[in-house]
Amino acid sequence: MAAAASSSDWPGRYHHIDQILDKPGPRTDPGFLAGDGVKDFLRGQAKILVIGAGGLGCEILANLALTGFKDIHVIDMDTIDISNLNRQFLFRQKDVGKPKATVAAEFIMKRVPGVTVTPYFGKIQDKDEEYYMQFNLVICGLDSVEARRWINATLVNMVDPEVPESLKPLIDGGTEGFKGQARVILPGITSCYECSLDMLNKQTQFPICTIANTPRLPEHCIEWASVLEWPRVFADKKLDNDDPDDIDWLYKTALNRAREFKIEGVTWSLTQGVVKNIIPAIASTNAIIAAACCNEAFKIATSSAAFLNNYFMLIGTDGVYSYTFEHEKRQECPVCGGEALDLAISPELTLEQLIETLTERQDIQIKKPSLSTPTKQLYLQAPPQLEQATRPNLEKKVSELVPPSGEVTVTASTLPFSLSLRIAYTS
Amino acid sequence: MSAGTESQSLESATTSIESQPDQKTRRYDRQLRLWAKSGQAALESAHLLVLSSSSTSTSILKNLVLPGVGQFTLLDRTITSPSDAGNNFFLEGLDSVGKPRAEEAVRLLLELNDGVKGHSIVEKDIQQVLSSEGESGVEWVKGFSLIIAHNLEKNALDQLSDLLWADFKSPPLVIIRSAGFLAEVFIQFHEHAIIDSHIDSTPSLRIDKPFPALLERSLAIDFENLDVTDHGHVPYVFILVRVLEEWKKSHDGNPPSTAAEKKEFKSLILNMRKKSDEENFEEAESQAYKCWTSTVVPSDIKSLFASSASSSNTPPHTKPFHILVKALEVYTSTVPPNTLPLSSTLPDMKASTKEYVEIQRLYKDRSVEEKNTFKGILANVIKEQGEDPNLIDDETIDSFVKNSHVLRLLSGKKWGWVDEDKAALTERAQTSSKQLGIHLALSALSSLHAKHAQAQATKQSQEGQNADFTPSLEELTAEAKAILPDGVELPEEDFDNAIGEAARSPTADLPNTAALLGGVVAQEVIKMITKQYVPIDGYCTIDLVETWTGVL
Repeated sequence: MAAAASSSDWPGRYHHIDQILDKPGPRTDPGFLAGDGVKDFLRGQAKILVIGAGGLGCEILANLALTGFKDIHVIDMDTIDISNLNRQFLFRQKDVGKPKATVAAEFIMKRVPGVTVTPYFGKIQDKDEEYYMQFNLVICGLDSVEARRWINATLVNMVDPEVPESLKPLIDGGTEGFKGQARVILPGITSCYECSLDMLNKQTQFPICTIANTPRLPEHCIEWASVLEWPRVFADKKLDNDDPDDIDWLYKTALNRAREFKIEGVTWSLTQGVVKNIIPAIASTNAIIAAACCNEAFKIATSSAAFLNNYFMLIGTDGVYSYTFEHEKRQECPVCGGEALDLAISPELTLEQLIETLTERQDIQIKKPSLSTPTKQLYLQAPPQLEQATRPNLEKKVSELVPPSGEVTVTASTLPFSLSLRIAYTS
Repeated sequence: MSAGTESQSLESATTSIESQPDQKTRRYDRQLRLWAKSGQAALESAHLLVLSSSSTSTSILKNLVLPGVGQFTLLDRTITSPSDAGNNFFLEGLDSVGKPRAEEAVRLLLELNDGVKGHSIVEKDIQQVLSSEGESGVEWVKGFSLIIAHNLEKNALDQLSDLLWADFKSPPLVIIRSAGFLAEVFIQFHEHAIIDSHIDSTPSLRIDKPFPALLERSLAIDFENLDVTDHGHVPYVFILVRVLEEWKKSHDGNPPSTAAEKKEFKSLILNMRKKSDEENFEEAESQAYKCWTSTVVPSDIKSLFASSASSSNTPPHTKPFHILVKALEVYTSTVPPNTLPLSSTLPDMKASTKEYVEIQRLYKDRSVEEKNTFKGILANVIKEQGEDPNLIDDETIDSFVKNSHVLRLLSGKKWGWVDEDKAALTERAQTSSKQLGIHLALSALSSLHAKHAQAQATKQSQEGQNADFTPSLEELTAEAKAILPDGVELPEEDFDNAIGEAARSPTADLPNTAALLGGVVAQEVIKMITKQYVPIDGYCTIDLVETWTGVL
């Protein structure tokens, strides 16, 4: 093995890939530098970042390594759980509890000689622009909308038109059951992640009054147990979704309520699914989407073929149905659009109602927004003193606080950008 | 532990709702939420035969070993080459070079899941099994649950597909061809029946044809005298049945039909409100179309009756399905109101707990009654056909009735059918020229490769065939055009794009293409084995330059 590692690129190693890199195809850009130039860049210079070492991440790392990327970095804040093992194929039973990034990196380096994978066990928010600037490409295999919005906004902010290298192509994948999507984002040039927020499925939210008074579905009983009963019974203990004993308590509590109301269908599995918002996940769908992402990374890094413009979605439930299209940039996108979002509201609307409207909008998706105008703070979620000081505004009408066509800046601690609203009043 | 006992333990784990799930249920949790314990049990009793240990083949297997397929056998005499070691994740670099590729792959694949058994056969290939071993070789192949063939040499593939097609009891054959950025997938099977298709479609609530208990309950509501809270909690189904019944009395028994009538009907509903924010009446208004959408047997199911009746040579595994379909046809034509049996699943609706539980109970009771009627008819059909009365278990009947609005029966075609069907080629050249371009390019590659291999064999030099196979653009063009009937041409660009890409990378099993095929094919295999979800019907072609898939 030692001999292999020192001369890792054995003759014939890249026989398959070199068929692509040694000559152009009919649809290859004339700028493609076939032969040693492109191989040297791919195998000697390209530096790529993988965000997420889970279902997609494991696949992405293996594909990149086999394709010839030699300098790969990976970030993941999670540790390995037993329910990962049906698809996250770099992990074994003995790895349960260990950091995903570290175990994945070690496995790839052991299996694919000559590849360096540098793991970081932590959050993407721990890293600054200087860190992200070192990469040629970023691939995301995340299950969190918030993390995607963060990295998307960070990469868009980094773009300096004077410095071409500051533009880092972002390739993003996601899956759910037999469905998935892969997309290429050129920050500032193509539509960005934030531009397409309204394409996300709206999460089902049950009205509190239904949960409290008129439960009909097993889910209503489970929500009652987790949202209302848990805090009442365990005032000082936070619910731990990953602790089977906590789920067990919720299950039994929900089951009792269901029996009381003669509602059928509360099971352990459903309880866990509702509380953790579990999305079904299988190896095959992750393989499809990760491969699509890595194929785009390969084409972008080598120019050996045109890359995806810019969105690919696949549904495998009824045959194999896929749709490739160009998702359009949104002019009023708070991250890459530059234009304020026009919002027409009733002059009677209170600030509190405005905040509620914002949290419900699918194209904004902001949880705890703070609002201000160029001249004053309307409502701030934190720190506590300012929250208290601005709280009285909540009951006031927006029309008393903001002049017609006035701008309101909306921020949230979870998002690295602000949203500009231009308020108009309906007469 | 055998696959059988494991699937039992899984069953007991998911049905004993009082306890936390066991180790195995936790491992498979994210997939059990898709295909449930029935799908998992089917997967665990499957044994797959895989006819190569290429990067694409091991990628497919990886995605089947992880979810827990029962067993697989890799039949491949290839010795690992340096290029294999470079593009296959289930080989260990130079350490694997010189060793039998299938053995190395099986060893590394099995690391993924203790519950799976894997075997390698490295002293012969499929052609030897079929040619030298005669009938016993053919029977051995047919004994598998499903066969997967990636870039199998043309003559062997044609022989295999002929043999399997000749017997309607044969297992499905999944054929994958790929080169560089291009690929196609085809499943050869005789018949595939799906009860639990997971097709997104809601069964009828039968508001237009209410069963007696539903009608009676709806007519008994004293809207006038209900207090405001109860009034706002009457389920919309009751409201619609009631309003429709009253409407019909004054309209010769007919539901609203003109736009004006429908509008009037909706305003009748809204006028019943005691308060402007009664959500149950808003729901009723938005669902009012159900009153004039007649509940009939869906057209898909009607055509299923016809195709099931005309099916000959029914393989044993679809026989119960055909009997169930026959019983359903008798049911819908003899039992009023000539609809599918009522579904017991009710959507959520604005209602008090008491009202909702009550309406749920009404539907459930009625659906049990109708299911029992269906079971009586089914027993008759089984008797008439002289079949075993225990042929179909209760669980299957329950699932069949529950899914009777989304049943599917696929009639497969033989591998290569499109190349021999002039009308189809002519039509596809117009409607799916890009897809056909890929199919032709891969067909041309495969037949030229067969000729090349033959030439090599006569030269007695079997080593390094693949590396030497570099067909020219002209050869490929001629070969591909020969498949098309006279006078049929593809748009030049589509043809050139596919042929050009094939000429560029005639033998490239690219890691990303392999991984993508690994996912697509594993999804299809899972669908075939579990008989859940709907597999591809036709040639699924894939272009990873423009990143699309399309069925030819």
